[in-house]
Amino acid sequence: MKYELVAGFETHIELATKTKIFCSCTTEFGGDPNTHCCPVCIGLPGTLPKLNRKVVDYAIMAGLATNCEIARVSKMDRKNYCYPDLPKAYQISQFDKPLCEHGYVELSTGKKIRLARIHIEEDAGKLIHKKGDTYVDYNRGGVPLIEIVSEPDIRSIDEAKEYVEKLQQVMRYIGISDCKMQEGSMRCDVNISVRPVGSDTFGTRTEIKNMNSITNIAKAMEYEFERQCDLLESGGKVIQETLRYDDATGETSSMRGKEDAHDYRYFRDPDLVTILLTDEEIEAVKNSLPELPTEKAKRYVEEFAITDKDAQNLTKYRRISEYFDKASEGLKNPKTVANFMIGQIFSRLATEADKEIFDIKTTPEQLRELVKLIEDGKIKNNLAKTTLDKMLESGKGAMDFISEDDMGGVDEGALTEFCKAAIEANPNAVADYKGGKEKALMALLGNVMKQSRGKADAAQVTAKLKELIG
Amino acid sequence: MITKEDIENIALLSKLFVPEEELDALREDMQGIIDFADTINNADIEGVEFDNIAGLSNQFREDVVVESLSVEEILKNAPDQAQDHFLVRKRA
Ligand SMILES: [Zn+2]
Repeated sequence: MKYELVAGFETHIELATKTKIFCSCTTEFGGDPNTHCCPVCIGLPGTLPKLNRKVVDYAIMAGLATNCEIARVSKMDRKNYCYPDLPKAYQISQFDKPLCEHGYVELSTGKKIRLARIHIEEDAGKLIHKKGDTYVDYNRGGVPLIEIVSEPDIRSIDEAKEYVEKLQQVMRYIGISDCKMQEGSMRCDVNISVRPVGSDTFGTRTEIKNMNSITNIAKAMEYEFERQCDLLESGGKVIQETLRYDDATGETSSMRGKEDAHDYRYFRDPDLVTILLTDEEIEAVKNSLPELPTEKAKRYVEEFAITDKDAQNLTKYRRISEYFDKASEGLKNPKTVANFMIGQIFSRLATEADKEIFDIKTTPEQLRELVKLIEDGKIKNNLAKTTLDKMLESGKGAMDFISEDDMGGVDEGALTEFCKAAIEANPNAVADYKGGKEKALMALLGNVMKQSRGKADAAQVTAKLKELIG
Repeated sequence: MITKEDIENIALLSKLFVPEEELDALREDMQGIIDFADTINNADIEGVEFDNIAGLSNQFREDVVVESLSVEEILKNAPDQAQDHFLVRKRA
């Protein structure tokens, strides 16, 4: 039988606030153990948590950027469970009144992965297990998180990867988190089940935890999909359980001990008052959002006639798109800027991380100046290309490499001289061309370009060469 | 209706050990507590807005860092500690 994958995600994202969600301790990563703590975040009796306004604003931003409805009335609840990473034996979270609901993330195919909700909550402390003993560091305890819960709308590993990438991209664009999976500021749990293709009921699902990269998410899902299919094929049954993905073996295994049916006994946290939001407040947050990558890409395609693929590349990271926006300001043809960026500039950025940082010596203003010279007909593309390379090496402007003479263009007489010299110097190419090899003309064109130091117009040169060879 | 199983489950979640012979008595006590709390369900709340008891809302903090306590201060009341960490020892 052929099976179909059904998956949904629960994604925790650490918010980039300066302080924790309910106290004024720093959220800075690292630090000596238990040095970013106070009576509130180690859960001493008699302390009073107070909600960080920025956490609410960031969560609203996340909600708006993923097409959610923002709740006008919201509240905090206690989720009770007993584990040393929670000093109070409960986590302050949101249960039935989350801040954001009913959103979606749109994939490149146009398919929408629906979001059930986004709520705010506190992170737990860090546990180090040594010889059966547990060492607890509460520096991370109380760091603000949002949890984004998707509907089980994902049907393939590719959709899963794109969903996580899109979330990561959007959250970084709006600046609410750095979403570093390796450092734990973005953590994904995936619910996964299989069913016969064509079926419209869901199979029994398992939940995989502990995946610290998109590559691992894909591997874990692939493994789990095969495992469930094999199990069903051999007449077995999938058991609902929580699994851990092991990076080293590439396998999922049961997290024993977490299986007892949880009863979190949620109830409202009486220490924290209702969150009431007005239309005006939500509107103000909306206005503060930057243009989002999907909208940006659409605009580039529609307004600048840039290909869809190039538009995706230009909007993948916020710094790149901002550079492009700035460099193409006021230009007739931003596409030229796009071509230079995707071609010459991207080729200098070897890794995805390099692209994201986008640390290059040439400023957007300098690139704009160069492209303006082309638009004004003062220099030709070839010269611009070699000039850009020099600019990228040195950080200097275009005019440091282009002389007045370069911008003069090439007059008819000089052009004829260059062409004659090229023909004389390359008898073989001329013979080849006469023998029917169109391409042989390229050698002659290259020669002329060299003589004119890139100033000559390629189309003009080609016409002239053809005329002279006859 | 509170059952013996409910008591056992609550004890488990609360990490309490309840001897078998005490279950019945506890069940009765718990039933009494729940019945008492149920009177709240009968209260007339027609037209009462969803809010907390004090009628307060939007008590927020600004996102400004205040110095945390020293690790000595933080660990002062810890039942057990080692290497600047709270320590939870392996159960014997
Ligand atoms: Zn604190």
